[in-house]
Amino acid sequence: MEILTGNELMSGATVYLDRSGKWVEELQQARVFLKEESEAKDAALAVTKKGGRVISLEVETVTLRDGAIYPDRIRERIRAEGPTAPRFDRQHLDEDGHVSI
Amino acid sequence: MYRYDEFDAAFVKERTAQFSDQVARRLSGELNEDQFRPLRLMNGLYLQLHAYMLRIAVPYGTMNSRQMRTLAHIARTYDRGYGHFTTRQNIQFNWPKLRDIPKILEDLAAVEMHAIQTSGNCIRNITTDQFAGAAADEIIDPRPVAEILRQWSSLHPEFSYLPRKFKIAMSGSTADRAAIRFHDIGLQATTNGLGEIGWQVWVGGGLGRTPMIAKMISGFVPHEHLLAYLESILRVYNRYGRRDNKYKARIKILVHETGIETIREQVEEEFAHVKGGVLTLPQEELDRITRYFAEPDYELVNQTSVDVAREKILNPPYGRWLERNLNAHRQAGYVSITISLKPVGGAPGDATDKQMDVIADLAERYSHDELRVSHEQNIVLPYVKITDLPSVYATLVEHGLAEGNAGQITDIICCPGLDFCALANARSIPLAQELTRKFAAPERQAEIGDLKIKISGCINACGHHHVGHIGILGVEKKGTELYQITVGGDATENAAIGDILGHGFVAEDVPNAIERLVDAYIARRESPSEPFIAAFRRLGKQPFKEALYGDA
Repeated sequence: MEILTGNELMSGATVYLDRSGKWVEELQQARVFLKEESEAKDAALAVTKKGGRVISLEVETVTLRDGAIYPDRIRERIRAEGPTAPRFDRQHLDEDGHVSI
Repeated sequence: MYRYDEFDAAFVKERTAQFSDQVARRLSGELNEDQFRPLRLMNGLYLQLHAYMLRIAVPYGTMNSRQMRTLAHIARTYDRGYGHFTTRQNIQFNWPKLRDIPKILEDLAAVEMHAIQTSGNCIRNITTDQFAGAAADEIIDPRPVAEILRQWSSLHPEFSYLPRKFKIAMSGSTADRAAIRFHDIGLQATTNGLGEIGWQVWVGGGLGRTPMIAKMISGFVPHEHLLAYLESILRVYNRYGRRDNKYKARIKILVHETGIETIREQVEEEFAHVKGGVLTLPQEELDRITRYFAEPDYELVNQTSVDVAREKILNPPYGRWLERNLNAHRQAGYVSITISLKPVGGAPGDATDKQMDVIADLAERYSHDELRVSHEQNIVLPYVKITDLPSVYATLVEHGLAEGNAGQITDIICCPGLDFCALANARSIPLAQELTRKFAAPERQAEIGDLKIKISGCINACGHHHVGHIGILGVEKKGTELYQITVGGDATENAAIGDILGHGFVAEDVPNAIERLVDAYIARRESPSEPFIAAFRRLGKQPFKEALYGDA
């Protein structure tokens, strides 16, 4: 299973593509792409890249744990939550930072 | 301190306006990310894990109070109230927004600062000894030459697209406090047979995935020919350095694969063409730049020493601070002070906006308006009267800056690691915090003595782990952070790369592993005055390997 993630252009905030085609801050709202949905995933990547408002796009592998999305890589878990030390809240989108594909 | 001339001011102003326009065009969609990325990197703006990161140059680590206050203002206004001082004597802000960058650059330009050439395959910030111009053991103040190199390397058209980034460090004394043997070029002040001062030139040092100790390419280059000689090295590198593989593109690989003798011949051949031409540095220009770094108007101070032993009895924390955080000065009655940015449990190198303001105030009031960033991620007040020490210390205590641990086990160099950095594989800051907590007791630190721990969160080695007396490298293995421990590294004139002694440890086990190394050292040292690194050299790695892994 995979999710799409990137950073929003103006704030640099970590964002995830959700089921409605919006880029959102919450990992748990991310659309999980199954293996057979690779076409949809590639299409979303292409449209997003063209739009230019979400950068540093990456496909991340995840598993579901008790129904919650759990990224395989430590890096992604830290990206989702913000730095562990010193502990800071993650970066948030500006008011005009919300993006749809 | 050096002050911008009209050319400097004009080019920084021009670049600021240029980048402001580029940001506006990016936000409007006129530029796409592929077009914008190299432009933002040329201006020190990276995209990290959580946000943009802006790296600001502090030329040869020297600032005045106005500049430090501007950094505090940036931290407060555009970031999250703190900044991170780096091993390149620069500062990084971890949370700026793209639309604020033009304003930040304007604020910086107003105090003669910028972020140009803090990224990219160009000549980066020239670094030097944090005690330059003040140290008792100095042959020459390296800052005038560092400033000339800054001017030469800034926007140098021939060296803007080198095979890879290029770092130059210099030391004006025989004691190397700038890790010059681990830079692409290292310059060490020296004298020739006639007693003239010039530069020993080292080339091909570096850390990262292929650590190398630099090799001496010339034993003596006089000031007047230094630019020509460095230009010759850069030309050889630009011509022959590999561009097909970024992991083999640094000059250390070229020197290693080609051999220093061949590189020296190529450089000498180029030097023969360039020497005596436009790059010859006129003495009057060197004198002009040197005047910017003239010694401050020292006062005659009656008190020329401080009774540390007495202070340790009367006020132990103050006594410890005096013992560890002062550096001998060339001027009687003065010292240089290291302000530790390594509090127990803190993130190494971080300072809050309030602390930056306080340090600026101290520099203005007590240190002839000057301060330094050290490559060991501390701040230095270079010119402080001994009689002012109690006042300076009291202010530092009030603001959480009075840790008396310079050069001790808790004075850890540490990269941002996986908590911030897009390249990292493992976290480094939490480990540094844990180690400082474990060894927090001042008595324990005093018992251990001089010991440098350096931590990197990936093989790129921004935390200089290869040259830590004890080095720690974070890696990721099967979804777990593991830490390799090296022993015996040394960044000084006795340059050495640490040895890996065995398998890695999970984070929870690292503090106890380090303690076993420390205990092995204490048990085997000849006397308390034999430092860890000297004991390691005498004993070899076996006892330390046994301490880590048992004698199986």
